Amino acid sequence: MKSITRTLRFIVFTLVEYARSGRILVECLATVVVFYLFFRRWTTPPPASYFFSTAGLFTLGLTFYSTSAMMGLGDRPQGYVLLVRRISRASYLLGLYLAALTITSALYGITSIGMAIYNPVADLTLRGWLLGSLPLLLNAALFGALLTLLAPIVLTAGWRLAVLALVAIAFSGNLLGGQTVAAIPQVIATGLSILRTIFSTPLLPAFTGFQLSVDRDYSGIHFLTPIAQLTLTLSLLSLAIYAFRRRDLIFSSS
Amino acid sequence: MFAIETEKLYKSYDGLPVLRGLDLRVPEGLVYGLLGPNGTGKSTLIHVLLGFLKPTKGSVYVLGERNLEHIRGRVGYLPERLRYHLRYSGREYLRYLGQFSDMREPLLTTRVNEGLRMVGLLDAADRLLGTYSKGMLQRLGIAQALLTDPEILIIDEPTAGLDPAGQREMLDLLTTVRDRGHTIFLATHFLEEVEQLCDQVGVLFGGKLAAELEVRSLRTPGRSVLINVSELQPELAQQLQRLDPAVRCSRHEIALQPNTPALQAQVLRALIDAEVPIIALEPQSRPLEELYLRVVRGEPLELPPAEPPPNSLFAPPGHPDALPPPPGRPGTGETFLRELLGQDAERDHQSNQE
Repeated sequence: MKSITRTLRFIVFTLVEYARSGRILVECLATVVVFYLFFRRWTTPPPASYFFSTAGLFTLGLTFYSTSAMMGLGDRPQGYVLLVRRISRASYLLGLYLAALTITSALYGITSIGMAIYNPVADLTLRGWLLGSLPLLLNAALFGALLTLLAPIVLTAGWRLAVLALVAIAFSGNLLGGQTVAAIPQVIATGLSILRTIFSTPLLPAFTGFQLSVDRDYSGIHFLTPIAQLTLTLSLLSLAIYAFRRRDLIFSSS
Repeated sequence: MFAIETEKLYKSYDGLPVLRGLDLRVPEGLVYGLLGPNGTGKSTLIHVLLGFLKPTKGSVYVLGERNLEHIRGRVGYLPERLRYHLRYSGREYLRYLGQFSDMREPLLTTRVNEGLRMVGLLDAADRLLGTYSKGMLQRLGIAQALLTDPEILIIDEPTAGLDPAGQREMLDLLTTVRDRGHTIFLATHFLEEVEQLCDQVGVLFGGKLAAELEVRSLRTPGRSVLINVSELQPELAQQLQRLDPAVRCSRHEIALQPNTPALQAQVLRALIDAEVPIIALEPQSRPLEELYLRVVRGEPLELPPAEPPPNSLFAPPGHPDALPPPPGRPGTGETFLRELLGQDAERDHQSNQE
């Protein structure tokens, strides 16, 4: 219980510093620009699928920026003075991650309120918004967890490259065209295909989550998608915390 | 019990060894100074003690705990660099740090105010840390380190980067902290800090403890001393020079080289008897400095002068502070140093005496 309280306090501490540093203006400005470009009132109300697909991509972009900035904020020698207190390394890392997620979620919420006020989405009830927002925000949480795992304070350069290589293999189906694959020897192509299948499986919740937020169809086994997203997020976070607790803590510029 | 204990501690970065089998024991209640040149591993050792770095080999115990996660909140840490979260006021920052240590009201407010008052920052408590000077930040560092009334205080280069006034201020503040009875582990390369603050000193060199001794045992007169006087009459100068060939006089200065405690006492007594105002007595070298330089130059260690210091020129015979007995008596710093510095140093010393 105490560790949860400490983590919450650290989130507040981090958010206050982030806000006072002025970095949050970047996210705020980006939100205003995106709202003006994609969500301002047109002739007809936008469909819900348009809102969730555009907002989903924008939220991922925000997650990328906020999580990277927050991990950079945590990767400074100032952290030593905090970590000598009762804040554990797990609380420290989770605090940074959750602070970034708080910013992303808040700005998504503000965007949604802006839409409701200035440009209401056609046929979107509060229930529909909640059903679409859940997988959308879980995708942001999942992406944030991956970025946390890949942060320099968590994984060493070698391990980061290894994880990125796995992600690249998982996406290689979209990156390598038919001609390129045809030029690769059969054995390698088959091996690559197997590896792609293996490594792309964990990405399924992310893709299906995106689809779920767009169509909000929870029928059949689709209701399992948020659970899969959450499980994958927690797995990545657990991995990140495990790595962070085990490694030497050498903050940048120290 | 030892506040800090390391056994055959090794730490390497990417195969590059920094600590090489360090054995260190810091008793509780002591102020221990760790001297060593820059880059010799002092900060690495501190980060190992705080659990930021994992030992490559060997064991570390802090406050009797091997799992350093368990000592969080029982250790105060003053880092070397003045890097704090500058977008908070001094009061806000200390309050957050207290909360991270599970402190609650009203204790939190009391401790924060006490800490700010102790380091003289109460008036600046509500200013952003970004507006503080380096000296103020370092004083805030002391306040944050003492916030939870820790059992041990680990201090890394407390005066690095401060101007002379800031250094003096910091040393005075640390003297106050020392008098509160905390166990303090101080890493520095400034000899003055060790001489003023520490009970025991170790010299870290080559990843090991190259020498370790009690600071008290080093408080001997310098090997050569310059006594500044207002004016020396020629007759008195001749009288002093007759005492020993080591005495050389000019109009305003008397040089004793080599110096001995007995000779220094004789000269001072003669000056006082002749009512010559003594302006200053300046040791031309310091035992700790000599020891330190020998270690870092890789020269064989040499003992400080065999005779114990005359603690008081005026103490009557039989008083504990009286002038020393003849040289080489047991039960003095000499015995202690011989044990610590080993037989080689003892042989050197004997040959020097011969």
